[in-house]
Amino acid sequence: MSAPQPGTSPALPGPLHGLRVLELADEKGQFCGKLMADLGADVIKIEPPGGQHTRLVGPFLDDIPHRERSLSFWHYNTSKRGITLNLEHPDGQSLLRRLVPTTDILLETYPPGYLPALGLGYDALSSLNPRLIMCSLTPFGQTGPWRDFLSADLLQLAAGGQMSCCGYDPQDVPDAPPIAPGGGNAWHIGSHFAYMAILAAVYYRDMTGEGQYIDASIHEACALTTEAAGTTYIYTGKVVQRHTGRAASLDQSEPTQFQTQDGLWVNTTRTGFNLTPARLQRLATMLDQYGLAQDLLDEKYQNPATIQANLQHIGEVLEHFFAHVPQEDAWRAGQENGLPWGGVRSLDEIIHDEHLRDRDFFTEVEHPELGRRFIYPGGATIYNGSPWRISRRAPLIGEHNEEIFCGELGIQKAELILLAESGMI
Amino acid sequence: MTLPRPLTGVRVLDFTWVRAGPWATRWLGAFGAEIIKIEWPENLDILRSNRMVIPPGVEPGPNAPGQFADTNVNKRGITLNVRTPKGLEIARRLAAISDIVMENFSSRVMQKWGLGYEDLQKLRPDIIYVSMAGFGHTGRNHHYTTMGPSAQALSGQTFLSGLPGKPPAGWGWSYLDDTGGMYGVMGALTALRHRNATGQGQHVDLSQMTMGITLTGAAFLDRTANGRRARREGYPPGNRTAWPGTPPVNNYRGPTVAPHNAYRTQGGGYNDWCVIACFSDQEWQNLVGVMGSPAWATDARFHTLQGRIQHQEALDEGIEQWTQTLAKYALVEKCQAAGVRAMAVQSPEDRVEHDPQLRARGFYTELEHPLLGWYKIQGIPFKLSKTPAEISRPAPLIGQHTREVLTELLGLGLQDIRDGYADGTFWPARLPLYPYIEETLV
Repeated sequence: MSAPQPGTSPALPGPLHGLRVLELADEKGQFCGKLMADLGADVIKIEPPGGQHTRLVGPFLDDIPHRERSLSFWHYNTSKRGITLNLEHPDGQSLLRRLVPTTDILLETYPPGYLPALGLGYDALSSLNPRLIMCSLTPFGQTGPWRDFLSADLLQLAAGGQMSCCGYDPQDVPDAPPIAPGGGNAWHIGSHFAYMAILAAVYYRDMTGEGQYIDASIHEACALTTEAAGTTYIYTGKVVQRHTGRAASLDQSEPTQFQTQDGLWVNTTRTGFNLTPARLQRLATMLDQYGLAQDLLDEKYQNPATIQANLQHIGEVLEHFFAHVPQEDAWRAGQENGLPWGGVRSLDEIIHDEHLRDRDFFTEVEHPELGRRFIYPGGATIYNGSPWRISRRAPLIGEHNEEIFCGELGIQKAELILLAESGMI
Repeated sequence: MTLPRPLTGVRVLDFTWVRAGPWATRWLGAFGAEIIKIEWPENLDILRSNRMVIPPGVEPGPNAPGQFADTNVNKRGITLNVRTPKGLEIARRLAAISDIVMENFSSRVMQKWGLGYEDLQKLRPDIIYVSMAGFGHTGRNHHYTTMGPSAQALSGQTFLSGLPGKPPAGWGWSYLDDTGGMYGVMGALTALRHRNATGQGQHVDLSQMTMGITLTGAAFLDRTANGRRARREGYPPGNRTAWPGTPPVNNYRGPTVAPHNAYRTQGGGYNDWCVIACFSDQEWQNLVGVMGSPAWATDARFHTLQGRIQHQEALDEGIEQWTQTLAKYALVEKCQAAGVRAMAVQSPEDRVEHDPQLRARGFYTELEHPLLGWYKIQGIPFKLSKTPAEISRPAPLIGQHTREVLTELLGLGLQDIRDGYADGTFWPARLPLYPYIEETLV
């Protein structure tokens, strides 16, 4: 459905082609399922009859709330097939068991103990298929004093340490709270680690034929995702402080975020970082093209000690430059001169990025039931031998019930009607 | 009985440096892959020159930074000048016996050295080659470079963090270096699976900046399908799902609810904060109960979600008056016991010293580093029942395993090794040798 990526052939299957995944995952793990589905795995999302609660999360297409119009659900469930199943009834449980022998991976995010209480824990399911890899991805893992705690993206980012690192310098926002960055990233972080663990288990199974059980904790995944904040404490006993738009640190550190002529922002590295005389010369030459180099072309800056002694001044020259140049021009001018600058872009700017177009990032996906096509984000990675692709839009509620229950399990259509009428599917 | 590790027998030739790449190979190593980290002292890994994360009393130097020590566990390290014909030949011989090559240089560096995918694929047709450049190896701006913060800025990640009407707060660390590492591991493991299934290797071309955009998912579709401007009043709404006085449309974190915020707790210290979120009227009523049903909270304007969103300032003010009467962990226990979503804002110290969950799960393990001694290492977030991942080996001192690895893998004799040190292949002539390296030359 989506165009092939550069250097790849549309006919090639994705790298996970041939793996079947049963996804019993809500917001906590559906991204992990998407990662596998877009890379070619046959991911079957199992929802309760009537659809999962993730369908009630906005934004909605054209701002019309409807279970088939959640853009959040659409994004996180691309390339999957979807069936409905009442796992709390013996008939529903029996249908799930019948799917297990052909399943490679079962991913679930229910509260710890929920599936085992229904007779659907790893011990029960692996007896039907010893090659099964089952991953439970939960807020705090299957054990420990917090295992039954309620959670949310905001709670995970508080517990994991993200919030203690993000916020403002007092001069920008006095008395600011710690900030939890938006976007649902606790679930992304958990899903990345779960994906890794699952694929490592797949490799082991390829070698030995043995499946296994994985207990993955979103809290621990988040606790690993604050770069040097944790190690700074471990090795120095000190706690980092929050700064505006740059790394939390033990020192005050100089600002790296500058406002541009058009009122937007550009992010730079610390002014003195890697600033050799040669790099300063190149920077000054670039600034001079805008008539904004001030004294930086002076011979005296060809001495590393002079550079280090004048970092504040150099920072002020940069601040002045940014104040006189629009964001897009400013960060690109830096990049063309070897500086890793970045405009603080919103999606308003990103959707026009031609580099992304070169990578075939903007992925058109057809929604046949609406007669419309929409642009989705593409892959982060180009797999040159086995392309990433969105093979279909997210499933409608129970869209593949007939295909899977009748086509694969051999259930008669009359029986399917009974299952639907009795609330089993 | 020790359990096997899942990637036993997989060899990774690791040209990565700084954070994203080494964070990736750390995890492949935890799964039991053999990691050979290649360094050159004249182009020192930035993490080796970081002076901030050095234990008190330890002299700064390439083996001293704790951040390097934590990021590079599970690897052996060699020093090799690949910019000499002899060094290049050794690198190519190592690549020929490796399953995976990982690198995170700018997009044409490895090709220039003769170590690009096309070069190495000739030596080993099924090689898996993971490149982790800022803009990737494909596309008109492939030569642009990123550090974590600039990748975050360009991908829209920085923009979605902060308070409305204020500068972006962004991410207080290189989130996309951590996450870039994740995509590096995922790329390697995914390509390994593909190789097992088809016999074929491939070039996996990751772009750190692009990766950040894929994590804006629902916001992306709101922009492309609904045409809603990302830059708008009241967005991003800080820790809330909607900012008071602006239309409550879409925070891309989950459903629009209130309360959903950070609140000060007893003590008033820098990290004396908690978060509370109520996803239903029932959860709000649970919170009212925990607070002791104060008069303000039973006011009818807070009974419904719409009312709570409309009167969010008063709501948050009332809640914070209560949260300030309790220490953050006591508050969490009280709330969770009553069915209220609450959690402490944990500092790094809290996670290491006070978090009962991480302690119960054995998250921090201790490891002896040859220079620094015993320190806690950030552990493993998943438990594989048959093949657990492990932190098994401290980070290499620079050049620590040059002789060991080249003798073991390429059969180099002692004289070959000594010659390589004498001619500048294994160590720059202008730098003194460390005693632990000299010991390997006798």
